[in-house]
Amino acid sequence: MTETIETVRVSVKVNGEEAVRDVEPRRQLVDFLRHDLGLTGTHVGCEQGVCGMCTVLFDGEPIKSCLMLAPQADGHEITTVESLNGEELHPLQRAFKEHHGLQCGYCTPAMLMTALALGRRGVPLDREQLEEELAGVLCRCTGYQKIYDAVESYLAETAGSGGTA
Amino acid sequence: MKPAPFVYERAGSVEEALAMLQRYEGDARLLAGGQSLVPLLNMRLLMPSAVIDVNDVPGLDEIREEGDEVAIGALTRYSRIEWSPTLVSRLPLLTETVRYVGDRQVRTRGTLGGSLAHADPTGEMPLAAIALGATVVVQSQAGRRAVPAEEFFLGPYYTVLEPEEMVVEVRFPVRRTVSAIAEHARRHGDFAVISVAAVGEPNGDGGWKSVRVALGGVADTPILAVEASALLSGTSLEPDVVARAGEMALAAADPPTDVRASADYRRHLIPIYVRRTLELLQTRRSEGAR
Ligand SMILES: Cc1cc2nc3c(=O)[nH]c(=O)nc-3n(C[C@H](O)[C@H](O)[C@H](O)COP(=O)(O)OP(=O)(O)OC[C@H]3O[C@@H](n4cnc5c(N)ncnc54)[C@H](O)[C@@H]3O)c2cc1C
Ligand code: FES
Ligand code: FES
Repeated sequence: MTETIETVRVSVKVNGEEAVRDVEPRRQLVDFLRHDLGLTGTHVGCEQGVCGMCTVLFDGEPIKSCLMLAPQADGHEITTVESLNGEELHPLQRAFKEHHGLQCGYCTPAMLMTALALGRRGVPLDREQLEEELAGVLCRCTGYQKIYDAVESYLAETAGSGGTA
Repeated sequence: MKPAPFVYERAGSVEEALAMLQRYEGDARLLAGGQSLVPLLNMRLLMPSAVIDVNDVPGLDEIREEGDEVAIGALTRYSRIEWSPTLVSRLPLLTETVRYVGDRQVRTRGTLGGSLAHADPTGEMPLAAIALGATVVVQSQAGRRAVPAEEFFLGPYYTVLEPEEMVVEVRFPVRRTVSAIAEHARRHGDFAVISVAAVGEPNGDGGWKSVRVALGGVADTPILAVEASALLSGTSLEPDVVARAGEMALAAADPPTDVRASADYRRHLIPIYVRRTLELLQTRRSEGAR
């Protein structure tokens, strides 16, 4: 059986670059990023909004990209973990390295993106609030404490620079 | 798990969305925050022939003060509610309650209207709407109707909404009240095991002119504890009155057993959380807060 499914044009800015693709409406944003654009830094876990692995920034705010249809991103800006790529480690990556904020690394892209948005929001947080802000991403390795340490130190660092680091 | 195929429609206005709903004759789903709909699509628990995206409808996400009411558009996101200076001062129960919903990512996208329409019996926004005596404004091509929040929910994931209707806004009365919520969840941000919200109007002599107590997670829908509220109104929330109110709330509940807790455990929690919520209400009043 060959069923023709109508596609929808999606034109989206990903990490500052324009991307245009025709996709089926049922394409999840996370699959659009990974399969259509080849950006496999964003991970997939549950595909039902629970694990947080697929966290990316949508117009600067953290969302779970398995809960967004690709056509919904049309005309919007997406930021993925690939945006941190550079000659040197990004200050956030450096904080994770210094504080041992990762083991297997599966949750790391999502943790980084959630923390990046927190840094940009620039609101001071105590440890408990920080834990709540990161609660949308599960980690099965670290026991979280070292992730909190890493993000705490990153936020302290960016507080001085107006969240631009 | 990937959704079954569907047609994607983007509505540019409420009228357009309503015309589409009418055209698909009950076989289309509105897409708001997608935090409940998309998991259901992904798991193929829902296979509508069309999804009508209302995220681009202008003006559907406004928070407006109108006399002694605050009107909140259906598409208003949780994070907007959480951070709205208007709501912090006018409806602090909403800004407090919304922090119990999901996690940061869920609150970036999820909406007030979607939460009410989804009608999770443990949902925090439905609970707050009932506790605050809100009115849900519903529209179809035939016109608008206003439904009191207490009458809006019919069962788990089931409301008075007709297939061709949508929620356009929710109106909250604003009075000089004190409010409180207490929730039991397996961890912060998880769906509630039970939750209790209370809104009280203080009178001059240290007592309470009126108290409304609502409970989530203890029945097919969030409920207003009518008898307990009547008992508490006009009292000073003396410990024996609070204990009796807890028993009345327990009698009004019919809690389910599910993956999060047994019905027995929920029954055990009801009087405890009614007491905690009312104690918090009293404390807040004496602190002059809220
Ligand atoms: C990990 C996770 C944790 C969560 N935790 C909680 C929690 O602790 N407490 C809680 O209450 N919820 C929780 N939720 C659910 C969340 O609150 C949803 O946002 C909410 O249930 C639905 O709102 P939405 O805007 O995302 O609606 P959608 O998912 O877009 O829609 C849900 C339903 O409502 C319909 N609908 C949407 N808008 C309208 C409208 N204006 N008029 C008529 N029908 C409409 C849709 O057609 C659909 O049937 C959680 C979700 C996730 C993924
Ligand atoms: S893959 Fe688990 S939340 Fe998206
Ligand atoms: S480092 Fe392995 S899941 Fe977090």
